[in-house]
Amino acid sequence: MELVNILASVPLCSGLSPDQLASLTAISHRETYNTDATIFSQNHPGDKMYIITRGQVEIRLNDGSGGNHATLYLGQGQLFGEMALLDQGTRSASVVAVEDGTEVYAIRASDFLALCQQDTAIGFIVMRNMALDLSFKLRHKNLDPSASI
Amino acid sequence: MIYKVSYVVSGGDYPGGIKNETERPQVGAVVQIGRMKFEVTEVHEIIPPRDDFQFLHATVKPLPTPEKQSSG
Repeated sequence: MELVNILASVPLCSGLSPDQLASLTAISHRETYNTDATIFSQNHPGDKMYIITRGQVEIRLNDGSGGNHATLYLGQGQLFGEMALLDQGTRSASVVAVEDGTEVYAIRASDFLALCQQDTAIGFIVMRNMALDLSFKLRHKNLDPSASI
Repeated sequence: MIYKVSYVVSGGDYPGGIKNETERPQVGAVVQIGRMKFEVTEVHEIIPPRDDFQFLHATVKPLPTPEKQSSG
């Protein structure tokens, strides 16, 4: 399936026109990971957000004593890494693939912000969808005592 | 329609997950969350649908592990 069709089925892209989807596709870069591969690590700088198009990832948090534990699993269609993109802070958690062939599309913050400035309608729609995604994760966390986002 | 589902494991001993499904999860169905499989026990809408997406919450329980066979 072509990336533009894949992104059309992702809530982050809900409401985008075919041309706007094509613009977002142009700045998205495919990455694949096998089981237990680290996509990024907690407290490291982050300059990309990711959309999962195949497989699942595990969100892991340091427990303060050298270990870490899983707090959430994200599967197809979900977004992660957006917090560092929004607030330019370090990564709030580590993310590890839990299936072989886990496929994500990475979008660099600089490319994304340039696209939003170039086409403010894309910026409005995607930022609104990103806020809805964070809202959904908060609702999940409220229902799941073991979760963290 | 695409179903964005928040899965929560009853008991809180195992983290839940969020993923998109092409079919609405049904009670009794088996779903893989992370490294384990679970059985769906409850499904309800968490927020109103928007565009082509429905937003659901599902409670799941771990599948029973097979008992070890005695060899004699």
